[in-house]
Amino acid sequence: MAVIQWLATNFFGTPAILLGLIVLIGLLLQKKNSSQVISGTTKAIIGFLIISAGANIIVGALTVFEPLWKEVFNLQGQTLSDFMGQDKFNAKFGSAVTLAMTLGFLINVLLARFTKFKYIYLTGHMMFWTTTIFAGIVVQTAGDVSFWKLVIFLSIIMGIYWTFQPALTQPIMRKIMGNDNIALGHTSASVALLGAWLGKILGNKENDSEKIKLPKGLEFLRDSNVITALTMGILFLVGAIIISFKNTPGAAELVASSGDQNFIIYSIIQSFTFAGGIAVVLMGVRMFIGEIVPAFNGIATKIVPGAKPALDAPVVFPFAPNAVVLGFLGGFIGALLWLIVIGNTVAYVFVPTMIVLFFHGATAGVFGNATGGVRGALLGGFITSTVVAWGQYITVKMLLPNTIPDTAMWAADSDMFILGPIIRALAAVLF
Amino acid sequence: MKILCVCGLGQGTSLILRMNVETVLREMGVSADVEHMDVSSASGMAADYIVTSNELAQSISGTDAKVIIVNNYFDQGEIKAALEENLQ
Repeated sequence: MAVIQWLATNFFGTPAILLGLIVLIGLLLQKKNSSQVISGTTKAIIGFLIISAGANIIVGALTVFEPLWKEVFNLQGQTLSDFMGQDKFNAKFGSAVTLAMTLGFLINVLLARFTKFKYIYLTGHMMFWTTTIFAGIVVQTAGDVSFWKLVIFLSIIMGIYWTFQPALTQPIMRKIMGNDNIALGHTSASVALLGAWLGKILGNKENDSEKIKLPKGLEFLRDSNVITALTMGILFLVGAIIISFKNTPGAAELVASSGDQNFIIYSIIQSFTFAGGIAVVLMGVRMFIGEIVPAFNGIATKIVPGAKPALDAPVVFPFAPNAVVLGFLGGFIGALLWLIVIGNTVAYVFVPTMIVLFFHGATAGVFGNATGGVRGALLGGFITSTVVAWGQYITVKMLLPNTIPDTAMWAADSDMFILGPIIRALAAVLF
Repeated sequence: MKILCVCGLGQGTSLILRMNVETVLREMGVSADVEHMDVSSASGMAADYIVTSNELAQSISGTDAKVIIVNNYFDQGEIKAALEENLQ
């Protein structure tokens, strides 16, 4: 018994080691040579540990951003505090998340093998974030949950979601791509479908976005580090300038927090730190997902003949590059609008997370363009910002305020926000 | 030989490209160290080749690596033609 207990604590209870073990099995199954097995396993473990370090950098910047804008809006109420945070959450529930991801993928493979839905979800980083956010909601709802109950619940939910989400978007995907070879496997599915629906009822299909001319030189929009730093930089700057001219005790306290450094300079540095933290987390995710997905792909192609890979959102971008820009534009304008509206109505500081707004807005833009042209693309972007802004508020404030609100503020997105309340209801009944 | 596969975020799409590039290289009998990443990271990393799309190629600067353009990351035929043309 002592041996089993020791193994459970040190292998299953230490997420980085459990992940290393899963990757090791995956690499061995693919018959990789010994140097590839060693380097792959090592990279996966390092990658997983990097995520926690990066998450702490992000929290540091967010805990400046939130009080800053609270003061700008004159909001009362609690600031962001008293939550576990991604770092501690990973240490405690990371094993369950990792295992649920793996078992959920296997359920996806089995469903694809035995039903007519032949979709295999291969967008590894979204698999990680979706499982993480749903775990955050379950733990918030049910308190201290048992390891296996959490794993089984999450893997069934994820397996079903990863199989049927691509099926729901496929009719429009066929229209966009002109063939049936690949599917969309991305959490922007809900806003993409909403975009297509709005495009159909309010748009004009004849006015295709690809017929219009857009200014050149927007390539930098595709570099996620740059758009994140620039947007947060502008918001920190505007907030800091307003605070510097405000004569309230709260404002004085904030200005004093930068010490000898000028408060505006201090705030701008925070925005770049925020972007830096995201870059660190994404590097960690890349290092372990890069080892898992090829193994998953190998398993799926062996077990499911005629499998259709469900892939990351940018697969649709080359089919309507202008709609990508229009969708992002609609999402960006909407996000600024909602920042002000939500701040003034429900007293929540919306973090306009650029990675989510870009990839989701752009995908919804392409879907909206397919049914409603230019207007459809812009509406797709706008509906994205609406779902993301209100979804972030509901999720951070009500669905997981004490577990991982820090992660929900920048990494949670459309489908997670739409499905979040359902996960909460199921968790309340089943746990 | 080191090859970087690049997309905007360096997460999902570039990984799919990496898997397809690895498949094609295996067919060609070429062994290489292939990694996937985002534009900013790729610009600061030593490599022999960078495989990416036309739009992103314009954002990659200051690298000694030879940039190979592939527009459809899922078309192994296009990837194969591009690699055969550019790898020495």
